[in-house]
Amino acid sequence: MRFSPKKFFVSNSFTRKLHKGYLYVFLLPSLGFIVVFFLIPVILTFLIGLTKMDYSFRWDWIGLGNYIYILRDKWAYKILGNTLFYVFTTLAFFNVGMALFISIATTHINDKIGSIFRSIWLLPRITPSTVYALLWLWAARGEANSLFNWLTSIFGLHPIDWKLTYPWLLVILVNGFVGTSFGMIIFTAALKSIPEDYIRAAKVDGASTLQIIRYVELPLIKWPLLFVTAYQTLSLLTSYEYILLVTDGGPGLYTTEVWALYSYHLAFAQYGGIVKFGYGAALATILVIIGLIMSVIYWKVFRFRELMVEPKIEV
Amino acid sequence: MRIVPLLKNSIVYIILLLVTLPIILLYTLLFLQSISVNLNGVIPNGFTLDHWSILSTGNIRVPGTTTQYYPNLYLVASNTFILAVIIAFTEVVLSSLAGYALSRYKFAGRSQILTLTLILHAFPGITLLIALFYVLNALGLYNSLIGVVIVKVALDLPLGIWIMKGFFDGIPWDIEMSALVDGCSRLGAWWRVIMPNVRNGLMAVLIFGFLSGWSEFIYVLTFIASQDYWTFSMFVYALTTGEYSYINPGITATVAIIYMIPVIIFFLFAQKYLLRIQIAGKSTV
Amino acid sequence: MVSVKLVNLSKYFHNVKAVDNLNLEIKDGEFVALLGPSGCGKTTTLLMIAGIYKPTNGYIYFDNRLMNDVPPKDRNVGMVFQSYALYPHMSVFDNIAFPLKLKKRPKDEIRRKVKEVADLLGIGELLDRKPSQLSGGQQQRVALARALVKEPDIFLMDEPLSNLDAKLRIQMRAELKKMQKTFKITTIYVTHDQVEAMTMADRIAVLNKGVLQQYGSPDELYNRPKNIFVAGFIGSVPMNFIRGALKRTNGDYILEGLDYLFKIPRTYHDVLKDIEVGTEVILGVRPEHVDIGFGEYSGKVYVVEPLGRDQIIHIDIGGEIIRALAPGDYKVEEGKDIKFSFKEDKIHIFDKKSGEAYI
Ligand SMILES: Nc1ncnc2c1ncn2[C@@H]1O[C@H](COP(=O)(O)OP(=O)(O)OP(=O)(O)O)[C@@H](O)[C@H]1O
Ligand SMILES: [Mg+2]
Repeated sequence: MRFSPKKFFVSNSFTRKLHKGYLYVFLLPSLGFIVVFFLIPVILTFLIGLTKMDYSFRWDWIGLGNYIYILRDKWAYKILGNTLFYVFTTLAFFNVGMALFISIATTHINDKIGSIFRSIWLLPRITPSTVYALLWLWAARGEANSLFNWLTSIFGLHPIDWKLTYPWLLVILVNGFVGTSFGMIIFTAALKSIPEDYIRAAKVDGASTLQIIRYVELPLIKWPLLFVTAYQTLSLLTSYEYILLVTDGGPGLYTTEVWALYSYHLAFAQYGGIVKFGYGAALATILVIIGLIMSVIYWKVFRFRELMVEPKIEV
Repeated sequence: MRIVPLLKNSIVYIILLLVTLPIILLYTLLFLQSISVNLNGVIPNGFTLDHWSILSTGNIRVPGTTTQYYPNLYLVASNTFILAVIIAFTEVVLSSLAGYALSRYKFAGRSQILTLTLILHAFPGITLLIALFYVLNALGLYNSLIGVVIVKVALDLPLGIWIMKGFFDGIPWDIEMSALVDGCSRLGAWWRVIMPNVRNGLMAVLIFGFLSGWSEFIYVLTFIASQDYWTFSMFVYALTTGEYSYINPGITATVAIIYMIPVIIFFLFAQKYLLRIQIAGKSTV
Repeated sequence: MVSVKLVNLSKYFHNVKAVDNLNLEIKDGEFVALLGPSGCGKTTTLLMIAGIYKPTNGYIYFDNRLMNDVPPKDRNVGMVFQSYALYPHMSVFDNIAFPLKLKKRPKDEIRRKVKEVADLLGIGELLDRKPSQLSGGQQQRVALARALVKEPDIFLMDEPLSNLDAKLRIQMRAELKKMQKTFKITTIYVTHDQVEAMTMADRIAVLNKGVLQQYGSPDELYNRPKNIFVAGFIGSVPMNFIRGALKRTNGDYILEGLDYLFKIPRTYHDVLKDIEVGTEVILGVRPEHVDIGFGEYSGKVYVVEPLGRDQIIHIDIGGEIIRALAPGDYKVEEGKDIKFSFKEDKIHIFDKKSGEAYI
């Protein structure tokens, strides 16, 4: 019997398609979750922001009313200022600054001791937020036997209530000690991957340790630095869990309130029980848009595309 | 030995120790609080194991009341555990399936799905809280642990898929090709050759999912109304807020330490996975 | 055992033509080497035969069966990968047993066969180890054992010796060849090392940039290269290529270069008579076919490379250096004049533009 290649191919490409049906079984559940509980909420946030929805869940459309209201909301300006202060201070002192210090210091001392220090810095990160916040709340209590007051009494200072006196200090410390680990890990990995020969060459050229750090190591971790800065800016901008737990925006009215927490408060914990889903969603939409833009920027700038190499098996 | 480098080195050690001291002190404090009568700074005034007696019944009275009790500690523990385990397993299964398909197959829409997951993995899901509340309410999943599970899984998945895809990408193509030549089907090769070689990835995602579920606070706070569904995070939150929050710190510390047990276990024995998760990106702060 | 036929076989990756219109027949039991420089499409060809890649065009036949759409598992080929591709999570025993397990063979048969093939390859002692606990040479044997144990119809090897040290490579070369002759398995062997191909293969297919250059026995490739690429690729000391224009004086053909003239033996005149006078050509002659110490040409000794048994003498002929292979004890001095000649029946002439051989 003579063979007809053409016929053979037609029938087979059909069976091959069926054969790959299991691919959908692999992908669909994840896609379903992501679409319904991730993508649709992105759109919903935007839509709810165009209504004055409350706990009755009615869609009372008011167009851009909420956004106009933001412009007239005198608290919004204060909170915007708070947010910028909070993000940049925490970022500068801890998420990037402290992270850089810890990773440089721990890679220049005995390796074992260095990694013990890094482990300790990882601890706040994996501690449940409620427990971690509790630790600080206790330490900052006003009683004389609290940790802070006990420590300052060594220098002859009087006990104070730290949360009431220095709420921002507390907020930044609490967030900073958690936030350091991310940058620390990335920087350490980057520093450790610098070829030993570069350092040796610099030593041969007579560079001191500080000069090596300044002229060899720092320039070589430029990209990780940028990456951590960009990444952590977005996290800080949108996170409010620890502030909620520690000061809940107080003391007083909106002293340490940040944008994301304001949105949360309006929707879920408004004083007097008034629920403003619509206004809260409008505030959140701004964060969502910033989040989306920054996510796309990371994707472009940090060459995530390179992670999308093509598969090699064609069966 | 020259003196100058030695001196420089010890300055570095001292500064490191100083900046790290707050963490060390805070956790020491927690531990001491649970076994001492009273604390002055970090100096205990007498040791006691009384606080740990809550383990016998699991009943803790609400401070300032005489008859009101918090939900039973064991109920809370099992809620938390169930939540964390379901989240962990769902994330492992779904992200390893999707990660595999995205890493190893050509199909229409592949690059769009990849782009989507890569973009979303950096996106802060917490900003969607109001919309998620709306969705859960519409689906009748408000005030149920399942609702929290679903939301957590959906928001964690892009990262999980990304981690798993990284592990799948790391397996040499030669090995999979070799399995096919040796007589496996594509699915057979996945199960017999690929999956056993991404065990580290599975562990990482499992631990990540477990810790993520175990520690979850905001979604529980927002989506759970009934005390019957409380998890540890709510429990500790209740113990530390309000007027009477420092009436019985020993008991609070004990509960917090019980809550920390899995965290401590992973911290001591699974750090390589924790680092892996961290490097893969995302963190709330 | 089967024969393999590749018909107009092509594989494109986007716009890279990894394999371009390849036609090749491999006889039952034959040992064929695919030879070519890095990136010429050798692995791609092998993977198409194994069924991992789908051809963009063309057909693959085993005997007379079209295989294009037969999945790899049904092709009964054994393959040794360049990286060995041992399964890291399996012991050596499980690695070798894997193909048999997939065929659902009884346990005791698997045990027996694995033992047999492992002993044959001298790795019987290593069966409990993990691949990571093996040396390169041992890993390579495990990979061989795994490919052999299923008694494949076709044996595919992708540069199996390239990760071994020189001594082990020579030893394995002989072993592999012997094994192939014993089992008479149709074998396709990929390599970029012409010595390997020349010493082991019955026939060699030389590839360049995805295109087949020549297919023939080692002897044919050595003595009658079809083009300048094959001529330059085959041979342990590369062939001399001397540029010039083809001229005719007094009925003789000569190659006229910058500062030199070479006479082309009369035996070739028939072939050359159709070529236009003045055409740019390249004269090729292997160093081992340059006789020194006497002859009609002369040049200056430029440099001498001793190789032990032999030495390579570089001779400056004015604008061009040619290499000659001489016995190691032959006395020459750098800078001195030297006479030489070419073995008449061993010279080649290639068209400069197309690279095709006239002679
Ligand atoms: N999966 C792929 N996707 C895109 N291009 C590919 C792919 N595989 C191979 N190529 C390209 O096809 C060409 C041939 O590659 P191949 O691996 O067959 O070369 P090779 O002869 O085996 O080389 P080497 O000796 O280096 O192994 C190369 O240019 C290579 O870059
Ligand atoms: Mg190759």
